[in-house]
Amino acid sequence: MTVNQKSKTPLAWKNLTHDWRRLVVALVGIAFAVLLMFSQVGFQNALFDSQVKLIADLEGDIFIVSKAKFTLAAEKRFAFVRIHQAQSCPGVLWATPVYSELTTSVLRKIEHGKGNRGYPIRSIGFHLDVPLFKSKEIQRQTRRLHAPAVALIDRNSKPKKFPLPMKNDQALSGSSVELASQKLTLVGTFDMGTDFANDGNLMMSAENFARYFPHRKRFGDPLSIVDIGVVKVQPTYSINDVHKVLLKTLSKDVFVLTRQEFLDKEILFWDKSTPIGTIFLAGKIIGFVVGMVICYQVIYSDIADHMPEFATLKAMGYSTRYFIALIVVEALLLAIVGFLPGTLASVGLYSWLGVQTGLLMQMDRYSVAFVLAATILMCTASGLLAVRKLLAADPANLF
Amino acid sequence: MDSQTTIPATSGAFAGDLRLPKTVRVENLNHYFGEGELRKQALYSNNLEVRRGEIVIMTGPSGSGKTTLLTLIGTLRTVQEGSLKVLGNELLGADRDLTVRLRQELGFIFQAHNLFESLTAYQNVKMAAELVGLDPRIADGRIKSLLTRLGLGERVHYKPKSLSGGQKQRVAIARGLVHKPKLILADEPTAALDEQSGREVVTLFQELARDEGCTIIMVTHDNRILDVADRIVNMVDGRIKSDVAVQETSVICEFLKGFPLFSDLTPNTLSEVADKMMVHEAQPGDVVIHQGDPGELFYLIRSGSVDVLIDDGAGQKQVAQLERGQYFGEAALITEEPRNATIVAHEKSVFYALEKKDFRAVLETSATFEEELRQALFNRQ
Repeated sequence: MTVNQKSKTPLAWKNLTHDWRRLVVALVGIAFAVLLMFSQVGFQNALFDSQVKLIADLEGDIFIVSKAKFTLAAEKRFAFVRIHQAQSCPGVLWATPVYSELTTSVLRKIEHGKGNRGYPIRSIGFHLDVPLFKSKEIQRQTRRLHAPAVALIDRNSKPKKFPLPMKNDQALSGSSVELASQKLTLVGTFDMGTDFANDGNLMMSAENFARYFPHRKRFGDPLSIVDIGVVKVQPTYSINDVHKVLLKTLSKDVFVLTRQEFLDKEILFWDKSTPIGTIFLAGKIIGFVVGMVICYQVIYSDIADHMPEFATLKAMGYSTRYFIALIVVEALLLAIVGFLPGTLASVGLYSWLGVQTGLLMQMDRYSVAFVLAATILMCTASGLLAVRKLLAADPANLF
Repeated sequence: MDSQTTIPATSGAFAGDLRLPKTVRVENLNHYFGEGELRKQALYSNNLEVRRGEIVIMTGPSGSGKTTLLTLIGTLRTVQEGSLKVLGNELLGADRDLTVRLRQELGFIFQAHNLFESLTAYQNVKMAAELVGLDPRIADGRIKSLLTRLGLGERVHYKPKSLSGGQKQRVAIARGLVHKPKLILADEPTAALDEQSGREVVTLFQELARDEGCTIIMVTHDNRILDVADRIVNMVDGRIKSDVAVQETSVICEFLKGFPLFSDLTPNTLSEVADKMMVHEAQPGDVVIHQGDPGELFYLIRSGSVDVLIDDGAGQKQVAQLERGQYFGEAALITEEPRNATIVAHEKSVFYALEKKDFRAVLETSATFEEELRQALFNRQ
């Protein structure tokens, strides 16, 4: 009691917690808005993260792609000679090609002598002598890929299209599959994830890759055309300097991109050159507006129901500043308390969607910060919108 | 000649020697509701003065503008036309800072209790104490003693949900008083109360008025509490129909009763007569009535004294001296003859005067009256 008498009456808190039913409704509303925004942000991040997951997984500082390759999924290649040229540049530790094939890379599961119709899967070929992938799991299994007609499979590949026993390596190597109509043995799994263009991934040696896709170049060596060139810079050299040298040295038919440029270019394509960015932007705005409407309803009805009381406070001489502070505190409390269940629900939604779609649904701190900021913004904005009448009107008109 | 004023005798403006400062001064106040074609006038050039420490009761039928006037005085509405001064501050065109500051010196008690359901009785009252920065310990004592005084000592920490309508109203009253306002504005404060607690509330009001010089303006229909009023303002259709100092009116009625012709009048008629009287002031030596002039007014001496002089042809002779409570000037009005004496103020005096037509109107109210009158005059000679 003593504490209570010394401090100011916490009216915002008292009003919020007085009617717990109303509070629960308010929190559910705000949590729903948070969930809406998280799902939009999550989908967009998942899309972008999934699209660039291959880049993110690759070791390397500088990347070379054909000028015609407007996105990773576009099967535009460049001549192997560029890799050689890059290799010979000062400061380059190693330069290596990554091969990739999708349209002709059809994986079929054979059961009881009959195959299903088969679905395209992205096959990635690389030279095993280069530590190309960051993943320890892939590095550990590299030696298994030396054998002919073997590959690793992404265990996040869509289970509906590729119903394989991903959890059991033994069973997996026992299942009979065909890739591009040739027998393939799956000797292990790795973790990469699907994206909007690819429903799964296979990883194999360049030699095996050449065996399965001999016709990717109409005449000549299938390995003489490269999808992505990966350059690792020597630790003593600056990436920027080497990047400049490569830009000068390599012919103008290829892009020479730093890691960030490559990521940005890929994300920019999905964001701006496809309707996807706009769709998700609209989704986020809709989530925000829906959240705002819910918050406005909650806070407005709270103020409207207590208007005579607030008017009495105003009549007593409480100032505009007091009411604004009161509403902002109330909105902040609602935003923060509503954000927690909303975030928990979103974590649940993310993991469920991740399992269902194989997309990378990650709740990184940027999206958490973004959604929290949006929640606070929408709560305070709707609070201030709702309080306008109280601030503007003569108290006598509010009873 | 004496200086005639437009101040009604019953306004009480000359009641005491003490001229207390005005807490509220309303001049030519108009107020309108609505906009454009729907604009409707609610108050018509109202004038009102309320002195410090006065308890004013405003009555009148609903829709007569009482609450509108009350909320205007309380800065709860924006003054549109005319002048309204509260505690020395002009409210016409007042800025927000002034109104916010002024509101903290006022105490409001509304018809509805308007308590926060989320706060206890104590906390609701404390909201008012916090605002004016009352020391928490002093505030604590005041809140508790006020609530106890109002019969809520056992329920200090109850929430409004657990209080009856009357108890809630009393919490609201405590909230209106806790910060020792200079002016209390109350709209039907006792409507929800039983007789006993209503009485307690108005007794509290009287104490505040007497001990703290607090001014109280109260809109009420509750005739049980009319006795506390120093002044009763009656409003009809947006106009102040009468504004009467209760004490002064009863003094006048008492004086009038001393006039034999009026002694049989009912209190009601007497107060109507009092209502029609106007204040006249005179300095020592001022001639109030000239012998031989036609009679126009009937005078009652509120304060001071006058000399009665008669010129019988051989020179002026003082025949009498009249004092407070006595009257003069009636004969000429009754007999329609010229003034039969000259009246000179002996000292600084205040008279209440009744016009001839009003005087005669009173006389004509009863036939027996004129007869009595003639009898009385006859007896005098």
